[in-house]
Amino acid sequence: MASETATAQDLERELEEEHRLVEEARQGNLDAMRPILERYAAPLYGTVILPRLGDAASAEEVLRDTLATAVEKIRRFTWQGKSIYPWLRQIAINKVYDVHRQAKRSRRLADALVHEVDVESDPAAQPDALLIADQERQAHRGRIDQTMTQLPERYRAAIELRLIQELSREDCAQRLGVTIGTFDVLLFRAVRAFRKHFGGDT
Amino acid sequence: MATQDDDTLTGSVPDPDREPSAAELAHARRFAELVDKTIAGRTPPAISADDRALLEVATVIRAARGQIELPPDRRDAVVAAALSRASAGRRAPARGAAISRARGRGWAPWIVAGASTLVAAAALAVLWLRPAPGLRGEPAAASEVPMAWRSRPADALIGPIARDHAGDASARIDTLFADRLDGFRAQQLAQGGRR
Repeated sequence: MASETATAQDLERELEEEHRLVEEARQGNLDAMRPILERYAAPLYGTVILPRLGDAASAEEVLRDTLATAVEKIRRFTWQGKSIYPWLRQIAINKVYDVHRQAKRSRRLADALVHEVDVESDPAAQPDALLIADQERQAHRGRIDQTMTQLPERYRAAIELRLIQELSREDCAQRLGVTIGTFDVLLFRAVRAFRKHFGGDT
Repeated sequence: MATQDDDTLTGSVPDPDREPSAAELAHARRFAELVDKTIAGRTPPAISADDRALLEVATVIRAARGQIELPPDRRDAVVAAALSRASAGRRAPARGAAISRARGRGWAPWIVAGASTLVAAAALAVLWLRPAPGLRGEPAAASEVPMAWRSRPADALIGPIARDHAGDASARIDTLFADRLDGFRAQQLAQGGRR
């Protein structure tokens, strides 16, 4: 009980500090945004941008654009008693959508990648940004797991061993009792099949 | 045009037990090596669009499992770059100010255009009023040069071309070339061999 109170107090303090920094930035001291950006860069990258983009280099560019846009538009941000994180997250999602549009990806695949996740949005609830990030991560995982169930068993195993457990190709082949060449083919087909079920062209 | 790479994304995916073709085997190996490099954080910049699309799917799967994080040094670099960009944008002159300054300089293009028109008109007048060289009583420079040094018709060398020799253009070109080279040598010798 005591620790829960302490955590709530910590969140309250963090929110007050964030509010103070945002107001300072709104009055022209852009460097006041630095601690906020440093805090939220990782969850934005890991749970909002990269899982919707799939390319680490592009994800870094989108993150940089997101943070720069946030700093440039901070005067337009209105503090509503909750973290700035949902605002940053929405900027990031818009930027990711732009990237998919520029790459002329099919609408279905773009929608599948840039899906909206139900996160806590009640201002009164004052959700912690990291809690939102955690909810988002769970939602992504759920969608991946759901797609995996549609794949044949051996394709699931190939993806699980190589991409999730990150075992070496040799170890993956050994676990499945096949040659490395055969495992390469299994993984190749598995990723193609995953893409089709996930929202790619069918 | 449909290619095998098109099939990678749009074609049907074979069952796991189906024998791969040699081409699929080679493509699968190439893709596996790309995955190796990507997991090691060294994704090659130049890869085919289809391989990139598949690699993105692989990365989406890995990212959703929380296996890809932004290293602290990269995070700091991105934050610094974003702040720098935003600060540069703020330091840049406001658009309204630029427009008002541009309005102040609105007369500049008209001055440049007017001056250019005057200069062009003056040049035309000079050319129009200047007498032709023959009328000024000056000897034409071309007449002082020997005929062999001037541009001249090739009729004397070639003469009328009979229909059955119409295809001998290369022979006629050789004749012309030899004659002009001879004239050039004569000119060089006349100058004591100096160029």
